[in-house]
Amino acid sequence: MSADEPVKTAKTDGTDWIERIWNFFTSLKLVVFLLLMLAALSIAGTVIEQNKPLQEYYRFYQPGTVALFSRLGLFDMYHSWWFVACLSLLALNIAACTMDRYRGIMAGMRKKNLVIDEKLSKSLQNLTTIRYALPLDVVEKKVAALAGKGFPGKPVVTQAEDGGRHYFFEKGKYSRLSFFVTHLSILIIFLGAISGSFFGYKGYVNIFEGETVSQVETRAGRIQYLDFQVKCNTFNAEFYPSGAPMDYRSDLSILQNGKEVIRKTIRVNDPLTFEGVTFYQSSYGGQPDQAAIDVVNRDGALIGTVTAPFGGKVDIPGVADQMEAADYQEHFPMSDGADGGRAVGVNIYPVTGSPVGLWLLVNHPEYDKQRGGDTYFRVRDLKLKKYTGLQVNRDPGEILVWLGSILLIAGIMIAFFMSHKKLWISLRTDKKGRSELTIGGTANKNRDAYAKEMEQMIQSLKEVS
Amino acid sequence: MTNSLLFGISIFVYFFAMVLYVSYLAFRSEMLGKAASLSMLGGVVVETAALGMRWYESYQLGIGRAPLTNLYESLAFFAWTIALIYLVLERKFKIRTVGAFVAPFPFLIMAYASLNPNDIQPLVPALKSNWLIAHVVTCFVGYAAFAVSFGVSFLYLLKAGSEKRSPKSAGSFWDFLPSSSALDEIGYKTIAIGFPLLTIGIVTGAFWANVAWGTYWSWDPKETWSLIVWLIYAAYLHARITRGWRGKRAAILSIAGFAATIFCYLGVNLILSGLHSYGGAS
Ligand code: HEM
Repeated sequence: MSADEPVKTAKTDGTDWIERIWNFFTSLKLVVFLLLMLAALSIAGTVIEQNKPLQEYYRFYQPGTVALFSRLGLFDMYHSWWFVACLSLLALNIAACTMDRYRGIMAGMRKKNLVIDEKLSKSLQNLTTIRYALPLDVVEKKVAALAGKGFPGKPVVTQAEDGGRHYFFEKGKYSRLSFFVTHLSILIIFLGAISGSFFGYKGYVNIFEGETVSQVETRAGRIQYLDFQVKCNTFNAEFYPSGAPMDYRSDLSILQNGKEVIRKTIRVNDPLTFEGVTFYQSSYGGQPDQAAIDVVNRDGALIGTVTAPFGGKVDIPGVADQMEAADYQEHFPMSDGADGGRAVGVNIYPVTGSPVGLWLLVNHPEYDKQRGGDTYFRVRDLKLKKYTGLQVNRDPGEILVWLGSILLIAGIMIAFFMSHKKLWISLRTDKKGRSELTIGGTANKNRDAYAKEMEQMIQSLKEVS
Repeated sequence: MTNSLLFGISIFVYFFAMVLYVSYLAFRSEMLGKAASLSMLGGVVVETAALGMRWYESYQLGIGRAPLTNLYESLAFFAWTIALIYLVLERKFKIRTVGAFVAPFPFLIMAYASLNPNDIQPLVPALKSNWLIAHVVTCFVGYAAFAVSFGVSFLYLLKAGSEKRSPKSAGSFWDFLPSSSALDEIGYKTIAIGFPLLTIGIVTGAFWANVAWGTYWSWDPKETWSLIVWLIYAAYLHARITRGWRGKRAAILSIAGFAATIFCYLGVNLILSGLHSYGGAS
């Protein structure tokens, strides 16, 4: 439906229901209801944790409750059909309102009355008449400097038949558009969010130092190929003496056809964007590369050292058995629950019999002694391969979201802090030959403030002599 | 540390201001009113010094960061903005009688803050951002405006009730308060100041989240509650345009909005973080 169709004046019975629907969608009651409804519904999602694996919910709720909540979509409520329906209704409501008001706002911006006439004077504020004992042209000269103070533009001057003159000043005409700017900006933000979720992706990738990737795994579990390659040159984490993290940074290169096009060190709060894809520092970790393991006699005498690459068997000196470094943990849980620190899981392959798996703790070299036997192992050195964990986003709707946000802020500011002010001044010679000045104004908002402004101007006009 | 001492003094000054504002309302003496405003100003001055000192001391510790990043600091800053914005609006709208309903906030918030650990910790990487300051300051100035609107709306309900019961009562306590229509208008104007600021606060928060984590909106409880607050005040603004929704219903919405604001700021961290792993102060 276009705004030019005079829906409101269609009085025939056949279109009555259209009018009713239109009135429903353009009513302020619906806005208030929808806004409060959205607020109330949103609370649910802050009390019930969202998007957790189902088994976690069983820990908190009865199975019947879980089934019910799950059916109602309460575990992913911000994407449930009913929440989205409320948002869509709000969008429709905004679109309808904007169309409905279009003509009224455009009409308000037109210069209709340039002269104070009887009809206009009824709607003016601070309507005042001042009489001077000076000739009209003298008054006009003196008044010209004072009138319209605070109105930057030149007035529209109309010559009256009785020899008088009418001045029309206005300011902030375009502030009337704040209605469109504010309301349409919300539709723009919606549009941005929707296009982001349809045409973008959020993914994740780990890159080892020195390695290069050209694909990421998305949250939806798909593999997303990139048109370029990302190389992690180095990763570094720094910590405060208290152990709290201070800085994470990855030195990344973007390669195209084998050539480096960009190189940048990213950190938290400082991502890298290339061809619409953004890489955020998100996590990090290590994977062992090679372990040097001492073989020690029970009495403490060193028998020899094995250099074990991960995933390869090597001979143990002094015995016929073989050893393989097979597993790694950053935080090994001790039997008393304490953090045992870094640990290497090794498999021992005896000449006869089945293999044995055991953990060697880097920070507790004597840990393996408890196993008993003639010899034990301890980690002499552990070479870790570090990797950086990157969140990878492509969001073509983001720009619309920011554009909408800026328009929203601008629109709200204009709506609250600006208004369309008009000022009329008429000058004529009255029947007794005195000069007569009539002044009046209107503002579409914040009339009290405008009345004060006008009072001051009227006072200064009265003092002209 | 000097900053703790100064914060401690500010608690007493705010307490004093609160007592004076309540006495002003009770005894209707201009002298008391002036003293109340002055001591509130005194509280702001002392606390400004405390915040400045804390900022300076963080540099001396080699940390160097704005004092806005943990629960203690954000409470202190919240108390400070409420006191400051209240004073500005008190001057602008001549609403000293509202002080009795707003002045308890700086005192109670500072008293509560003093129960929290107040050592200056260095920042974790996610908080190292200039967006932090823009985000926190705009949100809190917005919240402070809502606090004033809450006081005004509360007073509106009292005054409107009395006007209904006995329309003319010159010289009485009720006559001392601004008219209900003036209170209604001021309630609106203070929200008209808070709403744009909250909007900027939410947008800068979203922008920051996007820079730090790659999502501008993830529906976490803090974000969602700030949206709830925003929706309530948006409903308030539209409700006022419709005739019949001014006055009492608008005042109730304004009070509900401030209740949601307090929940968004404190409840999410204190109550919901018991259920959830996140929380923390920002
Ligand atoms: C989240 C959604 C919305 C937001 C954030 C919003 C925001 C605003 C703001 C900030 C104002 C200025 C308030 C004032 O001047 O006092 C306003 C005015 C208005 N809004 Fe909305 N609005 C929304 C939705 C709607 C909808 C759906 C409608 C349709 C019925 C609507 C109708 C109006 C009207 C009629 C005005 C008064 C305009 C005027 O003073 O000329 N709004 N809105």
